[in-house]
Amino acid sequence: MESVIEVNQLVKKYRKAEKPAVDGISFEVGKGEFFALLGPNGAGKTTTISILTTTLTKTSGSVRIAGWDIEKDAAQVRRNVGIIFQNPSLDLDLTAEENIRLHASIYGVFPYRPLYRMMPAAYRKRVEELAEVVGLRDNLFRKTRGFSGGMKRKLEIMRSLIHKPQILFLDEPTQGLDASARQSIWAYLKQLRQEENLTVFLTTHYLEEAEEADRVCMVTGGRIAVLGTPDKIKRQLAGPERIMLGSEELESLKSELDGLGVAYEQQQDTLAVFPGQRSAQQIVSGIRTPLSRLDIRQPTLEEAYLSLIQGGEAV
Amino acid sequence: MIAVWRRETNATAAIAARDITKSLKNPTLLIVSLIMPLLFMGILGGSLNQNMAGGLGFNFLQFMMIGMIVNSTFTGLITGMSSLIEERDQNLTQELFVSPISRYSIIIGKMIGSSFTSLIGLIGILIVAAVMGIPLGGWHIVYVFLLTPLFCLVGGSLGILFIGIVNDSKTADIGSMMLIMPQMFLAGALTPIQHSTGILAFLAKLMRMTYCIDLARAVFYAGTPMYDQIVLNSPALNLTVMAAIFVLFTVVGTMLFVRSDKNR
Repeated sequence: MESVIEVNQLVKKYRKAEKPAVDGISFEVGKGEFFALLGPNGAGKTTTISILTTTLTKTSGSVRIAGWDIEKDAAQVRRNVGIIFQNPSLDLDLTAEENIRLHASIYGVFPYRPLYRMMPAAYRKRVEELAEVVGLRDNLFRKTRGFSGGMKRKLEIMRSLIHKPQILFLDEPTQGLDASARQSIWAYLKQLRQEENLTVFLTTHYLEEAEEADRVCMVTGGRIAVLGTPDKIKRQLAGPERIMLGSEELESLKSELDGLGVAYEQQQDTLAVFPGQRSAQQIVSGIRTPLSRLDIRQPTLEEAYLSLIQGGEAV
Repeated sequence: MIAVWRRETNATAAIAARDITKSLKNPTLLIVSLIMPLLFMGILGGSLNQNMAGGLGFNFLQFMMIGMIVNSTFTGLITGMSSLIEERDQNLTQELFVSPISRYSIIIGKMIGSSFTSLIGLIGILIVAAVMGIPLGGWHIVYVFLLTPLFCLVGGSLGILFIGIVNDSKTADIGSMMLIMPQMFLAGALTPIQHSTGILAFLAKLMRMTYCIDLARAVFYAGTPMYDQIVLNSPALNLTVMAAIFVLFTVVGTMLFVRSDKNR
């Protein structure tokens, strides 16, 4: 897969700081990939994304975005990326459309005109299409000061896509939003990824949002702790899949499991079975004891993450 | 996509238009633009005129009106440029600083936008002058108004240097007042400084606004008997100093501002 983000031995040490905020991290992100950068507060996520989006200078190392060096070719980098900042960056005194028009004009996508109706037809078409998708069509000409958090985020996403970037950087995009607003934003982003083959680079505290990522990179103390697919990381840090079995006849169930040669551990009145190489179907079909509970428990990224920050396994 | 030079011009226009749109939507600004001249020209100027301006040999309120026109553009520009710091602290300018345009385009766009805002203030001065019966000087006041873009450039460049040095909005709020007030008192905006000596005369020469006010008065009083009594320097000297200040402060200020933003 062609790499659109190449980070090599990146270091950032803030003035007067004792330790680097980012300490020699390296990774690549492929075109169209959904890449999540996770880590606790102060891990270096926002510093990394700020360097990648040219708003902060690095101390050392090299970074190329869409083939361009972030320092020598900063303007080219900016032209190829869309950014949703951790803190909303909308001008609340302007309407939604005026915010978008400002963005479209400073990115050179469309010539600036003082009124919406004077803007080129192509601009008006793109704005109306995007507004329709994010559900802001009725609020396009309202001041953004009265918008809810979810509406502001949707507007920012809409704005960041007006210049058709190759890569979309999302720095805690759903911070402070309720569950319904988060869900609707992710549904929209999924649709966009499919339609426009966007590369998405995400940092978030909501780990369930990273479950659908192609790859996840967990950082602690400015260094990469683990990098891989969510499944690999979950297996590596949170252990394997478990089959949770309960029964009124627990001893009988235990002896059947012993007979099948599978490992398990008792958690109060439930047995957590580790299927190993066998499928859940194979194990359950070998059990004759009546079951009162049966569910398959996949490890989550949250468990993996907690295991990592609580001093678990690191790569 | 449009060509590079057109892109920069387009971006500058869009950034300027943002401030202009905000000004037009802001009723407080319109009210303040009337209150400030009323306070300075109406109350302070009126009192000085009645009690201390008897033997000057020229119309003190008219003299003060020209000083207020320049002072208003300077204040508007310094305040406007300082708002970049506040906007940066509130994350509003992140959007501008990750866009693929020159930092000079951002600064110049902001300067043009702030100039428009400060020009609204000039309308307030004219209204108060008309109400107070201050003679506007015919075409001479028009010539002064034609010069206001130059004053905006010089005031704006001082604002740029200021935001290049100051890093947070609290310091910017206090600092901009510290920058505006000495200019207003020392540069002769409110009172004549022809007879200033010693440290006050020295400080008046250091004030950038001194040269702008002097140029404005040179144009306003050109061909009148009061010219020699009021004007301090030749217009050529004033223009040279203003041009030098603009170029130096804009370049150095922009470099410092961009560096302070990225190189934390």
